[in-house]
Formats: sequence, structure tokens, C-alpha cells
Amino acid sequence: MSGSRVDLKVVLLGKEAGGKTSLVERYLHDRFHPNVPYQNTIGAAFGAKKVEVGGINVTMGIWDTAGSERYEAMSRIYYRSARAAIVCFDLTDDTSFDRAKFWVDELLKNEPDCKIYLTGTKYDLIEEEKRPRKVEETKVEEYADEIHCLVYETSSKTGQNIKELFYKIAQDYVEDPKNREPEVDEGIIDSSQPNTKPDKCSC
Amino acid sequence: MATSLHSNQISAGQEHAPGGSQNPVLVTKDSYEELEEDLSLDVDQSRPRHASGVIAEIVESRQHSEVDSNQNNAAVDYPATDQQVKGITADTNHLSLGDGQLTDESEVFVEEEEQRLRSGSVLQTVEKTKPAVVEEDIHSAAWKKHKKHIFILSEAGKPIYSRYGNEDKLVTLMGVIQALMSFVQDDKDSLRSVVAGGHLIVFLLRQPLMLVAASSTGESQQQLFLQLRYMYNQILSVLTHTQLNRIFEQRRNYDLRRLLSGTERFLNSLADLMDSDPCFLLTAVRGLPLDNTVRDVIGQSMQSAKVKDLVFAILIADGQLVTLVHMKKYILHPADLHLVINLLKASTSFETSDSWVPLCLPNFDSSGYLYSHISYLDDSPACLLLMTVDQMAFKEMENCKQKILEKLKKHNCLAAIKDSVKRGSYTCQEVGISELRHFLYKNKSTAQFTAPSWGAPYSDPAEQERLFSLYRFVHQKVHNPARPLKILFYVGSHESALGWITSGFELYAVFSPLTTKQVAILAVNKILKWIKKEEERLFILNPPEY
Repeated sequence: MSGSRVDLKVVLLGKEAGGKTSLVERYLHDRFHPNVPYQNTIGAAFGAKKVEVGGINVTMGIWDTAGSERYEAMSRIYYRSARAAIVCFDLTDDTSFDRAKFWVDELLKNEPDCKIYLTGTKYDLIEEEKRPRKVEETKVEEYADEIHCLVYETSSKTGQNIKELFYKIAQDYVEDPKNREPEVDEGIIDSSQPNTKPDKCSC
Repeated sequence: MATSLHSNQISAGQEHAPGGSQNPVLVTKDSYEELEEDLSLDVDQSRPRHASGVIAEIVESRQHSEVDSNQNNAAVDYPATDQQVKGITADTNHLSLGDGQLTDESEVFVEEEEQRLRSGSVLQTVEKTKPAVVEEDIHSAAWKKHKKHIFILSEAGKPIYSRYGNEDKLVTLMGVIQALMSFVQDDKDSLRSVVAGGHLIVFLLRQPLMLVAASSTGESQQQLFLQLRYMYNQILSVLTHTQLNRIFEQRRNYDLRRLLSGTERFLNSLADLMDSDPCFLLTAVRGLPLDNTVRDVIGQSMQSAKVKDLVFAILIADGQLVTLVHMKKYILHPADLHLVINLLKASTSFETSDSWVPLCLPNFDSSGYLYSHISYLDDSPACLLLMTVDQMAFKEMENCKQKILEKLKKHNCLAAIKDSVKRGSYTCQEVGISELRHFLYKNKSTAQFTAPSWGAPYSDPAEQERLFSLYRFVHQKVHNPARPLKILFYVGSHESALGWITSGFELYAVFSPLTTKQVAILAVNKILKWIKKEEERLFILNPPEY
């Protein structure tokens, strides 16, 4: 998929071990590894997927970023010019919600055009394993109202809400009149570079 | 029993060193020489310890060439290259040479071998229980039995890493280490090593970090120093030297684990790899055996897809180098490549998607990151790394990767790589010398090495382990700074071994225990001939440049 043209850049942000990679893994490859020990993402991983919304094909370039603090300083290179951000927090970890707020602030400040989708992950832990919920729904809703964004609760284990989340992102993108205009170059590609083939962009 | 031979007994000379090249793909300076330089420095002799400024130089030269488009090669403006490169390789530190070396330089080989064997057998049992769920601490018997411990702490004595057990529970031990090191430091001296029974404890101060190895493997002080240096470099590769220093300048008491979270896996993997992969011992890289026409096509494909600011393009399969393309002025240090190989070994997450990762190569430039596009090509074992100084260049790198991938697919190169990985290294039988059991050959002018696969009698991991410790032992004997040897013939109870160093190569060969010196010498000459015959397949001799 990578290498094909990307219309919409989506970035995942959130505290480390918050379930970002699992979410992307479920969406892109429809799989979940329950017994594999946690591996932190290094830097960021890129994946792409095509979705059809009302007869229009949208290719999403999805950036799964590392949650580790040491990458914070360079996170801008990952969310720059993103049109949608999935800001993740772990429903069983209240500190992860504070971290999510940090990312929201960061995005509002630097990428005002980026739509935010606040996403509580690991819903299955509450539902199946009866782990205590640490981030209350009302608290999230209040905050979401404040910043005008949508809220999802997902489980990468069961797949709950994940397709819906990405479909909604694609739909919002298609329905946004701003995006009907011809594609603007994101300014990352260096036009001075000799390029014999037709320009392909990939993120 | 050990015998030194005169080099004139061996007919092959250094000029015939197989696998040699005028055009090295890697920095060829030996780590042991570097270490010697390093340790021979006086306290007040402060030389730049870390390579830095190379990335800035590339970025600057880029800006230059943008301003002045007539100037094709901005390199002209920076005649400091040679010096820079030297600066890169000569990683020095400020340890002073203590008056009396604390290491026991006993020459009783038999005793040493016994110790080696003993410790080997301990390791077997311990290693197998290593992924223990039960947390070990300083009081547990299992913890004490580990053959090699590695500890990293801050100068303030805060625990950062322990190879075994939870470093949090080792706070008191870290305190003792810190006290010992700073006590000696107060007198403007440096604590290098302590011998305690069968253990050698080695201390390395790399401000703001302290690194300690406690080993009963029979490894030499130098060998342990080098391993600690690798651990230190692994930390730098994540943080950069600049960032590490800045953090501790701001807060002496900082708990570095916060920033390093997730890096433990790479430190663990590196420590394990150093105990089993001879590339660290030899400061060399193993090339993937490949038909030289295929390798050339791969190199050309990578070269022709060049994009601006691409410093290194590296293709690695199964921990072996397929080929490497580099900017004309900049050569990669094998130790940096080892960190890259370790990164790929320790993480499976690169296999599923293309990644964009900031990586610091400490011997290249410890002050900044190279941004690396990492991708496995088409689900093959071949992993392509494209390293640039431009952090926003993911798209360009992605395009570059696509071009390379198309070319490699067109020429069936990925299949060739897959085959080679599947086949593994050649067997020792292929070399056709009946007494020969195994060997390591390093060509010094290319910093590459070759070795057969672990065939019988070394198919068992425990036997591999024993063989590896024999290699380390012979290596240490010929590299002994106090008494370096050119050739060493050693007869042990399980095998005999010949170590031979010339200015062109290092060769370590292992034979059945009853093999005589004369037979061994005839055999190594045959090995050299065989390698010469195969050199184009085993070594990367004509790496393309950008």
C-alpha cells in the first residue's frame, strides 16, 4: 500500500503503552496479538489504507507514533500537516488522559486544521476482565465538548469501534468542503529534486 | 600449553590478505587499538571524546550548495574531512593508566581453560532459566550465578540499567559502585578493574554515566571495556551525547530511565549478542554470501535511486550486510553498524510497517540524529535503511525505497537474498580441510569477517558457547597490550586453536585436539587460499558511493 498516493494524513498520539500500535494493527491488518509482550514503538511507523466513502476513494496515510517521552521534542515532524489525529488514552489509566490533554493542546496550538478524535482504548479490559475504569465517560464528554471533538471507546482485542472510527475520519474528510479543492502540496516534497517519474506522494 | 611461532614459518604474507579492498565500506580502525589510545591518555589530556559536528557539516554543505548551485561538490569548502574522520574513529576518554594493573596476568593457560570450562557449564544452566518471571535481586542465588553482569548508573549513583534483576532493587549496590568510583576519582585517578576471586569487575566512566561489568567468563579487561563502550553507545544512539549531557547538567539527580523507557530491550539484546556474535570481538561486519554480480546489481540499484541528503543506504539481511552505499566523504564505523543490526534484531515492529526513526550513530556524530527510513522489502528478510540528515524527508525516502524495491524485484535480487539467508553460511566441510572444525577470518582493510556455520561438533548451543569462549581467549592472548602476539598455537582438551594476526588480516582457526602445529599451519594456508577463491562472494569489495 505504501507508495500509493495519500489523500489524508492521520496521526496517532498518546501516552506510551496506550494501545496506539494495537489499534493501527487491528485496523490495517485486522489482527491482535494477545500474548505478545509489549514492544514500544521506535520513532514512528507508517501504514496506508484505502477507504471508500460514498463512491469516493480516500487513501489514508496513518502515522503510529512512539509514546515515549524522548520523542516528544520531535513529535511535530510526525503530526505536521495531519488532517486527523487520533488522540489515545488508556481507559484503565487516568494518567494517560492527562497525557491526551497535553497532545490536544499541542495540536490546537500547532495544527489548527487537524480534526481531533479522542479515543479511549482497551475497552475489553473493563468489559471482559472487569478492570476498574479510571477515566469516567462524563469527564471525557465534558472535555470533548470543550474542544469540540468526537469521542470513541475502542477495543483492539475485539475490534470494537475501530473500523467505525477510521470510517468516520474518512467521511469527515470527504464531507469537508475544504477538501474538495485540488490537492495542495504539503510542502514536504522538495520540488528541486530531479524526478523522472510522475510525482508520487506517500504520506 | 601455548607456543609462539615465528611468522616466517607461514608462507602467506599480508599482501595476499583475501577479501581486501582499496575502497573500504567501513572504518577500518581496530577497536582494540582505539581502546589502547583511549586508555593511554592522561587525565588532563583532553581530546574530543565524541565525534560531533558531522551532521551539521552535511546540513551546512547542503545549504551551501543550495545557495551556490554552480558548486557541484560542496565538499571543497570543508577540507577538515580527514580530521573529522579521525575525530570520529578516535573515540577517546579520560581514564588514566593506573600504575599497577589490577588484572592478574597469569600465564597458566591450563588453569584458565579450566576456569573457562567451569564457567561455561554454569552459564548453560543459568541462561536457560533467564526469562525468569520471578524477579531476582542481589540476595537470590540465581542472580549471583549469572556469568556476566552489567550495570549502568548515573554519576549521582542513580540506577539506570542492570542486565539481570530489577535495577531498583540494586540501589545499594549502585551506591557502592558510585562510592568506589568517585573515591578513586577524588585523587585524580580512575578505577579500572578489580579482581575478586573468579570475577573481574571493570569500571568505565563516561560522564555523566558510570558503567560496570562483573564477569566470570574469563574475558579480558579490554574485552569488557569494549562491551561497556557498546552499551554506552547504545544509550547514545537513543539520546545523543548532547541531550544526555544537557539533561544531567540541568539535573544531576535525573532518573534517566524515564527517557530510556523501552531501551532496556535493546541493551539486553546487545549484551546477549555480544556473548554470542563474533562481530563485536572482531570489530567487523559479516557480509551476506552472495554472487558478486547480484551484489553489484543491488548496489547499483541503491545508488541510482539516490536522493538529496541521503547519507547512508544500508541493506541488511539476517544480521548480515548485503551492501552499503555511502556519501563519498562519510564512512560508517562497524560499531555503529552493529548498533543498527542490534536494533533490527531486537525489534519485530519494523517487519510490519515502514518506520521513520531518529538514530544517533555515536561514532559518526554523537551530537545529533540521522533520520532513518526502515523497511523490510516485500516481506523478504532484506531490511533497507535509508539515513538522512533531513527530518522531514520521509516522503523522499519512501519514494527512494519504492524505486530501489522495483529495481531489486526486476532483477530478482530479493529472491537471491532470500535464498542466501535460507541456505545460511557455508559449512566448514566446503572448505575441504579435514582437521578444520571452525574458523573466523577478518580482513582488516575492509573491517569485514567471514565464518562457516556452526556445524558439528558445534551444533549444540552449549558447544557453540564453549567455542566462542575459546575464540575470545585466543583473541585476548594475541591482543594482549602488554605482550601482543603475532601467532599463537594453543592446545586445549577439546580442540586446538591457531590465532594469527598480520597487518592485513586476523585469522582464528580451530582444529581437533590432536592436530599438530605443522598440520595447523598448512591448514590455515589452505583456508586463506579458499577465502581468496571465494572472496567476491563473501566480502563486499566494491561498494558504490553517492
